[in-house]
Amino acid sequence: MRTFLLRRFLQAIPLLFGISALTFLLLQLAPGDFLNTMAENPGITVESIEAMRTRFGLDRPWHVQYVLYLKNLILHLDFGESFSRHQPVFQVLREGLLNTLLLAVSAAVVTWGLAVPLGVWAAVRQYSWVDKGLSLLAFLWLSIPEVLSGLLLLFLAAKTGLFPVGGMRSLGWESMDPLGKALDLLHHLALPALVVGLIPLAARMRQMRANLLDVLRLDYVTTARAKGLDERTVVFKHAVRNAINPLITLFGFTLGALLSGSFIAEIIFSWPGLGRITLDALLTQDQYLVMGSVLMASVVLVLGNLVADILLAVADPRIAYD
Amino acid sequence: MRSTNARLVTAAAMAMLAWGAAGCGGQQGIAGSTWHDAHPLPADTMTVPTPEIGRHGGRFVIAQTSGPKTFNDIMANESSSTDVAGRMFVGLTELDYASGRMYGLLAKSWDVSPDGLTWTWHLRRGAQFSDGHPITSEDILFNFEIAYDEKLHPSIQDLLKVDGKKFEISAPDSYTVVMKIPRAYALMIPAVGSLHIMPKHRLESAYRSGDFASAFNVSTAAESIVCSGPFMLKEYAAGEKTVLTRNPYWFGVDAKGQRMPYLDEVVFLIVPDQEAAALKFQSGEVDGIDNVKPADYSTYADGQKKGNYTLYDLGPGMTTNFFWVNLNRVKEAKPGRKVGDPQTDPIRYEWFKRAEFRQALSKAIDREAMIRSVFFGDAVKNWSTSTAGNKVWYGPETVGLDYDPEGAKRLLAGMGWKDRDGDGVLEDEKGRTVSFTMKTNADNVTRVAMANFVRDDLAKIGIRCTPVPVDFNTLITNLRQDFQYESILLGLQSGVPPDPMMGQNVWKSSGLTHYWNVAQKRPETAAEAKIDELVAENVATIDFEARKRGWREIEQIVNREAFVIWLPTIIVKLPVRNTFGNVQPSVMPHRLLWSIDRVYVKGGGTPA
Repeated sequence: MRTFLLRRFLQAIPLLFGISALTFLLLQLAPGDFLNTMAENPGITVESIEAMRTRFGLDRPWHVQYVLYLKNLILHLDFGESFSRHQPVFQVLREGLLNTLLLAVSAAVVTWGLAVPLGVWAAVRQYSWVDKGLSLLAFLWLSIPEVLSGLLLLFLAAKTGLFPVGGMRSLGWESMDPLGKALDLLHHLALPALVVGLIPLAARMRQMRANLLDVLRLDYVTTARAKGLDERTVVFKHAVRNAINPLITLFGFTLGALLSGSFIAEIIFSWPGLGRITLDALLTQDQYLVMGSVLMASVVLVLGNLVADILLAVADPRIAYD
Repeated sequence: MRSTNARLVTAAAMAMLAWGAAGCGGQQGIAGSTWHDAHPLPADTMTVPTPEIGRHGGRFVIAQTSGPKTFNDIMANESSSTDVAGRMFVGLTELDYASGRMYGLLAKSWDVSPDGLTWTWHLRRGAQFSDGHPITSEDILFNFEIAYDEKLHPSIQDLLKVDGKKFEISAPDSYTVVMKIPRAYALMIPAVGSLHIMPKHRLESAYRSGDFASAFNVSTAAESIVCSGPFMLKEYAAGEKTVLTRNPYWFGVDAKGQRMPYLDEVVFLIVPDQEAAALKFQSGEVDGIDNVKPADYSTYADGQKKGNYTLYDLGPGMTTNFFWVNLNRVKEAKPGRKVGDPQTDPIRYEWFKRAEFRQALSKAIDREAMIRSVFFGDAVKNWSTSTAGNKVWYGPETVGLDYDPEGAKRLLAGMGWKDRDGDGVLEDEKGRTVSFTMKTNADNVTRVAMANFVRDDLAKIGIRCTPVPVDFNTLITNLRQDFQYESILLGLQSGVPPDPMMGQNVWKSSGLTHYWNVAQKRPETAAEAKIDELVAENVATIDFEARKRGWREIEQIVNREAFVIWLPTIIVKLPVRNTFGNVQPSVMPHRLLWSIDRVYVKGGGTPA
């Protein structure tokens, strides 16, 4: 196990290096730079723009900028400074990080909380109307793009007044008691979490159903039934336990997408997460902020995949690394 | 750029949704404040003119499509930051949007020597920062030192120099500041006012240690951001909102001597786009919107009664729309390009150079039809950067070359251009098809619609114009750095105050925003030489009537030469909830916030 972890760790280094180089290169290839938006203003002279370009280091060739960036990153763990905010990148990203995690975790709860039981239910009642109905619903949802489903739910919220129209907290949040605060947060969280959470539901549910059906056909299940065990024990104690392995791997991948999976929903629902910050940074070419966001999402992705592999080994004694 | 596309789709779909949603009417904010003035009023209070005497309490919520990036007013560069910081920090002088005049804010009064070279500012005695610390001449000197700092080089610096020289500033006592300038400067009062005063006692150590740029940023604790304006920071929640509350030491009072501002809180709520703002307005979470598309005017107008709001018609705005053809020439030799070569295709450059050609372009545009189709009737013809919305500088006598397709055709025929091959497109005197491209930024739907309209009108006089919508950053690179374009359609925001010389870099041939031929070493045409002369004279003149005459002359030369071809200017309308009094929207940015210190929650309002 230890060598496995070490190997994975070493593999991640060139990967992250490649991602950072590619991101930096793409940002350089995009026309203009951060100072462009200012250049449109007739009140700002060329001297001011040039002075700022020097202050931000944008006057140096891109490879020099990149080497400096890497140096600061490796030696001082310094992700650079956001041009527009005059703040360290890490500090800016931290603002959105927790909110994004909150949304992503809630969405994962929606996905997995529904996928596993529904998948089991569909498998146990194979070809019944329950099975068909669930499949239909799941695929219907799967085929609606996130943008559209988000907007439809937002429309519902505005039309009925049952849910807030975007945002994370009500205006009077500070003056609420702790229970009120939590409920208000949940109220705001419900729709975006549903939008993000329901997308992978169809796939996960079908996966659970298929795995369980495979297992239910195996000899040991027949044996268990022949022993006279009741169906409940057969399914939950013997079959589900074995059928769930591939889903654990998938769960690991979900972890990997925690930071980047909900960007679109964040923007539709005005959720103050990383999505908004990253989009703003991209549009204004706040380059180190974009770099920081991409690197952070990549690190989480790498870690997520690692966790998936470890989880698998823990869940299934037949799997061992080394 | 998947996210950008997603955003566009979102915006479009939300536009449809916004209006499907039923308005739930206004919810009132926290009314009936228990606020009591805990501090004695200063010796020199400032009486703020208000239409009505208001009462204390309540909250005004405004939508913002992007949150502040910093609260450091001197280092802030974009409106999402300055909209907020501009309520927290004020300067010596300020523009009264209602009258168009400058008045003293931190400066109670000022004197100018007869030659216009020595300015003496008398500060308001007893004025205090939001922590009770007095605002004195020390603070003014400190802020000018920062503004002139070569390393920081804040963008305000340019306005605070005359002929590239700094003001000589001294402070004979705590309440007097003397500034000496090398020549008379027409923009002195607005320039001085645009430097907002930040507290020396809080920022000096940061400045001396080289950390000024990152001081007062969005993670700074609210209570340590000490303000000189009517409001101070109460709370900032990244990506959600910024809450300002009254500065308890503010020196503004109303006619009854009550301390201003009236509101307990001003909330800037962050929404992803205009459509989301509309939804929030409909649901009552937002009290006013400062930016509405003409396409939405009628829908807002219809919902006024139900939503308990008024759609204020402010008349013509100050934003201009225009296009120009590329007359730029190579300024520095590059491989394959000599100094003086046209930046654009040499054949086209020969056309663009001719005033008759540019005049024909202007005469080809049916502006009335454009107003009807692109602006839904909510626009007016415009011929200058001083639009009809500019109360002080507008000159109705300035009129450019308006729609006259026959006249346009005569001009082109006079140049020997005709349609030789019968394909409906003219050929020039050497037989080359007359066509060019027009770039504009793709994210601005109105500009793209205008460009398409121009294409159709030019086709009618036999010129083929192809609109090319491009990414905003590409457009800026094209017009500022590589000059790879044939024509560009763009718009300009008005400066505050809307003095035409605030935009002098557009008119001076050496200016970097002298779009059609930027940064000329010396003026290339007689007309531009004359404009340069008039601009130089204008900024060095104090007499308003003389300056106005000079500006009229500049406008006429620009229009006669058709250096820019003007397109209509939008009529501004914006909705504000009826529960507020003293709402005085203006066409100048920020349209709602300039008078927010006077706004109050009406008693007995009828929250739905």
